[in-house]
Amino acid sequence: MRNTAAIEIDLRDTMSMCSLRAGAGLFGIETVQIREVLGTTSPQRVPLAPEYIAGVVPHRGEILTTVNFRVLLGLERRAGPGCVLVLDEEEGRDCFGLLVDGVGGVVTLARSALEANPSALDARSMALFDGVFRMPAGLMVHLDPQRLRPSRLAESGMFAAARRRSYGGQR
Amino acid sequence: MDELTKEFVAESQEGLERMELCLTDLEKRPGDVELVSEIFRTVHTIKGTTGFLRFRRLEKLAHAGEGLLAALRDGKIIATSELIGALLELMDGLRAILHLIETTGIEGARSTDDDRELIALMVDLKAGSAEAAVNGKSAPPMHDVELLALAAGRDASRAALLSAAALAPAPILTATQDRTLRIDVEVLNRMMNQVGELVLTRNQILQSSPDAQNFPELARRLNNVTAELRQSVMQARMQPVGHLFGKFPRMVRDLGRTCGRQVRIEFEGQETGLDKSLLEAVRDPLTHAVRNAVDHGIEPPDVRMLAGKPVEGVVRLRAFHQSGSVVIEVIDDGAGISTEQVLAKALERGLATPEQAASMTQREALQMLFVPGFSTARKVTNISGRGVGLDVVRANVEQVGGSVELESHLESGTTVRMRVPLTLAIVPALVVRSGGQSFALPQNALVELVYMARRDAESQIERIGASELYRLRDSLLPLVWLDRLLDLEQSAGTELQGFYIAVLESEDRRFGLVVDDLKPPEEIVVKSLSAVLREIGLFSGATVLGNGTLALILDVAEAGARAGVRPAVEAVKVVEATAKLEAAGRVGQAQIAMATSVVIYETWKRGFGEDRRGARMAMPLSAVERIESVPIAEIEYAGGRPVLQYGGELLPIEDEDEVLLEMAAANKPGDAGPAATILICLRSGEHASKRVGVVVRRVVGVSPGTLLAATAEVCAEPLAMVKDRVTTLHRDFVGQSAPPALQEVA
Repeated sequence: MRNTAAIEIDLRDTMSMCSLRAGAGLFGIETVQIREVLGTTSPQRVPLAPEYIAGVVPHRGEILTTVNFRVLLGLERRAGPGCVLVLDEEEGRDCFGLLVDGVGGVVTLARSALEANPSALDARSMALFDGVFRMPAGLMVHLDPQRLRPSRLAESGMFAAARRRSYGGQR
Repeated sequence: MDELTKEFVAESQEGLERMELCLTDLEKRPGDVELVSEIFRTVHTIKGTTGFLRFRRLEKLAHAGEGLLAALRDGKIIATSELIGALLELMDGLRAILHLIETTGIEGARSTDDDRELIALMVDLKAGSAEAAVNGKSAPPMHDVELLALAAGRDASRAALLSAAALAPAPILTATQDRTLRIDVEVLNRMMNQVGELVLTRNQILQSSPDAQNFPELARRLNNVTAELRQSVMQARMQPVGHLFGKFPRMVRDLGRTCGRQVRIEFEGQETGLDKSLLEAVRDPLTHAVRNAVDHGIEPPDVRMLAGKPVEGVVRLRAFHQSGSVVIEVIDDGAGISTEQVLAKALERGLATPEQAASMTQREALQMLFVPGFSTARKVTNISGRGVGLDVVRANVEQVGGSVELESHLESGTTVRMRVPLTLAIVPALVVRSGGQSFALPQNALVELVYMARRDAESQIERIGASELYRLRDSLLPLVWLDRLLDLEQSAGTELQGFYIAVLESEDRRFGLVVDDLKPPEEIVVKSLSAVLREIGLFSGATVLGNGTLALILDVAEAGARAGVRPAVEAVKVVEATAKLEAAGRVGQAQIAMATSVVIYETWKRGFGEDRRGARMAMPLSAVERIESVPIAEIEYAGGRPVLQYGGELLPIEDEDEVLLEMAAANKPGDAGPAATILICLRSGEHASKRVGVVVRRVVGVSPGTLLAATAEVCAEPLAMVKDRVTTLHRDFVGQSAPPALQEVA
């Protein structure tokens, strides 16, 4: 009995993180918050959508709105396909996709090792990142899917407003 | 909220809905013991369960109601209309608390959540009548003042409630109905069977390779199972329209009182099934139509009496299936709509010119009522007549792919007819390509398709200011480039041989959408978009196409609006200005007026001698809906006359030339046989809106022609000048070819 209790406490202190890449940076999302990883896919662009929307992909009979993580970071869009992570939105009632360059392995880290965002970060990164882990190879930025929800991004207004151009007669 | 509470809320709400019906019935048959027992049971069940679930407030109110109902059941008091009013209020009270429980999980403890007044009213009614029963006529008016005060307060709040309800139908009703659904176990079992079948088929497909011999067979089976499953699910989603009608007796009763009308409501076809989502969509328009019927349709009792009608007016709700859609009619036997008044109003508002008004048919005039901001009510009441009437009804119904028609006869009443598709989930659509992406256009908005070669574009597209127009037969069609509208990467235009113009019409906006290419039409499964993408406003959903890629579904009306296309009626003035420009130019107006387009076809019967084989006839293009090629085996005979099953309709076939007989004679038995060319035409005149199929030997082409006037001396048949040859027009279809005003010019 005592043994299992000890393990439970131990488990509660660790996080299983799925690592992902975008540009030169390394990021991590907790595996329990990821529903599924769709291999290489290229989302279908939605005209007139906000810049940070990568597009839509079909997923289990629904249309998944996908956020382009590169654009959120202020990087260039990539032409080729990327990896789409399916993440929960608002207590698992809905989900959205996150387009990244690639998905790496799963690492287990101590929850206590998570440090708050450095104060020197700019406002956009502050809004996106949820803290950092110091890894042997460099920093891994912890991401909270709730901060990346399309609806929240739209509300914050921080990320490139929709590309609206009135319909003109000129060709 | 736990399961038990959820179930309780759903059940109680259903019970209250039944109670509502019973109460309105009770008013007509005050002595019906069965009805009283039914109402008593509902309230009793609510009271019993709330005690158990510890909803004290609800229990108290239900208890008070139960006491009153018990007295009623035991015959101690009688069902006066005051009592029924009180019971209806009790029901509203219970419903409000249930709604609170459903949304918040608790029954509300704020000071505004107070039922004391209502409970006092129940007790007073019960006690008052008990005392009256005991003391005979001399009921002690001890609490009369109090009661009066209460009643006054009630009326005020009631009036406020009514006017609020008139503007926005109570959301309380829709809440649970969105989430729970009763399904026949039969249907559910069948679905389970079909899912089993689907799994088996999948297993077989997984185990075989695409080049296996039985692969086509497996694919066919998969197709069958999918179709069956789809049908079952659709059936499960079907709800009887009666669910929607349930709330109207009460509404009509209350409205009748406020407007001083005596109205009875009747139902027909309550069992007609309609998809659940659509049922919700037509709820508001239907409410609006019924409200209009009571407030504006039915006359006050004295007027009715003078007109020799029964004092009590009738509003009839009728639902039925017709060729793949559901029709819901709201019929009243009121005063009807005066066409003169409509036209006068249209002139006053500048919605039509006097010339247009003079030439309008009754039907066209009534269509004016759907123009935004149009209201004929001389008096604005708080129930209807704010000018947010029929245009809203139409917008709502069109949003779900339906249509609204109005029919009215002065003195004898008005009919509002709404036509909605059976389901929203799967719609036929045309897939187009633009800027390297696919988009789906709902077929119901599509009028026709025009191909334009790149080299003709310069000469055929005309420019007025910034807008580009294409002259489509007699009208000028504003053009909207899809790639420009959506800010897509410009399709490498010069490489393309040409482009397509999809002529679209929705919410009175008619325009040509220019796209790069067309793909075959598909039945698409509509999926909703997330909130962020819905906000763009131009897309009503997305779908996965047969080839696995995604396509966005274009909201046609919105696309037109964004590009600055005006609705037809507003556009009238612009078109007039254009017409004047043209008149000043090379073409005289009279000539435009006479010009019409015809479909030329070959017929042998009308020719003579050697020329017999080449004889031609023409049919006004406006009368032709489609040209179909039908294998003669599909043509059936009923009573010796050929008929065709066409889109769920039985079409009579006209075969003057006896082409069918010839074909059948040349055909070997057992063969599907050659195909006959049939023009699907819409008849005019007294057979208005009846379709008929006309068999022709061969369609020669479509060409502009000129109607010849005063041909009676030459020939009994109407004639037209087509390509410098005199051609006989099919006489049954000429009436509609030229608008009435133009015939006068002739």
